[in-house]
Amino acid sequence: MNKVKSVSILGVIVLALAAVPSSFGQVDITGIWANRGHMDWLDHGRGPDLVDYSGIPLNDAARVKSLSYTAALQAEQERQCEYYTPAYVVFGPFGLNIWTEVDPTTGRIIDYKMGAWIDKDITTIYMDGRPHPSKDAYHPYSGFTTGVWQGDTLTAISTHVKAAYNRRNGVPSSDQVTVVEHIVRHGDILAIMGIINDPVYLTEPFVMASIWEQDPHANVLRTSQPCEPIMEDERLEDGTVPHFLPGKNPYINEVTDRYHVPLEAVMGGADTMYPEFRKKIKDTYMPAAKCDRYCCGPVTDPALKCIRDATGRER
Amino acid sequence: MKRGLLVLAVLAVAVLSVPRANAHHSFGATYLEDKTITLDGALVQMLFRNPHSYVQIDVKDASGQLVRWNIEWGGVVQLSQKGVTRDTLKPGDQVVVVGNPSRTAEDHRMRLVKITRPSDGWTWGQSYD
Repeated sequence: MNKVKSVSILGVIVLALAAVPSSFGQVDITGIWANRGHMDWLDHGRGPDLVDYSGIPLNDAARVKSLSYTAALQAEQERQCEYYTPAYVVFGPFGLNIWTEVDPTTGRIIDYKMGAWIDKDITTIYMDGRPHPSKDAYHPYSGFTTGVWQGDTLTAISTHVKAAYNRRNGVPSSDQVTVVEHIVRHGDILAIMGIINDPVYLTEPFVMASIWEQDPHANVLRTSQPCEPIMEDERLEDGTVPHFLPGKNPYINEVTDRYHVPLEAVMGGADTMYPEFRKKIKDTYMPAAKCDRYCCGPVTDPALKCIRDATGRER
Repeated sequence: MKRGLLVLAVLAVAVLSVPRANAHHSFGATYLEDKTITLDGALVQMLFRNPHSYVQIDVKDASGQLVRWNIEWGGVVQLSQKGVTRDTLKPGDQVVVVGNPSRTAEDHRMRLVKITRPSDGWTWGQSYD
């Protein structure tokens, strides 16, 4: 009798739970997420070295274009207010603010919105099953993104982006890019793995990831802030387009000199993504005798000690 | 009192441990981050804007000629959160600016690390967050 009663109560509870409309997907990924700089901190902080394409499967065309890049290019009046693409979320800095737009009648989530930064537009991840538009449709900086839950992972696919960059040192991305993002929440940690496919500039998918920690005090804005073009660099007043001619990039050996990394690693390519590449360069790579920059990552507090190896070298 | 100091110390460590949020272009790709220079000059204008603000100052070079420097600062929100407004600095203010010089010396550009106005002791420095 008691068993029958327990089963009945359980049945009522299950029915009650099933009747409650879901106001979010499998996992709630909304909220304010702070960037702690705990991985790839140069990318997620002050920015990468100028000529360092290691770990990027770029092709020859991308390498030539990257080597022609100077940051002054982004000081041009017509380029100061350009945005990065949705892929910037995995190779840029800043925190994340994620919220939903909910259908007031059904309570279903129409889309997730990933907030804007000063150099990235809001990304809208449509969850209502709408198709991607025609390949000839408008390509905004934010692209067009749809999402689907795969278990507890939200997978978002972005297309229709403008040509921009895949790293903040001039590695280009084309308007044919497809970005797949796998968004996973583990407690108070949000992880996003981005897979960038670019038939114009990449020979293989380029995979990057980033993590954030939930922090309601982080004050991460939602909206894009107005950008005002000015004359940032008076040398550009006559319409000069800043660039380095082929073979003339003066910084090509900066990373090799500083870190003793072989040039073939710095020049990137699919090989440089894989662990086997270490074996390939083991005879040409000699670690620098002393670390002289960024030795302790983002930690600037002198009270916190660097990790040192057996020889006392900061790591 | 001791507890207050402890809280202050913890807060200071927390603030200092947060990575600088720089964007738009890589600062390392634009400026020599391992070098700093100090400029002493008169403010021409402050451009309080996104993606990054600028202050322009006139500085006398070795020959006594006035040279205009463009000094890159944080975005509007970043600076607003630190109490900087578009009226914080006024044309004619004498300021001392410490920063990272441009990779191209003839640019006369710099990334602002610290700025001080000696007339009233106002100062801003270090964090872009």
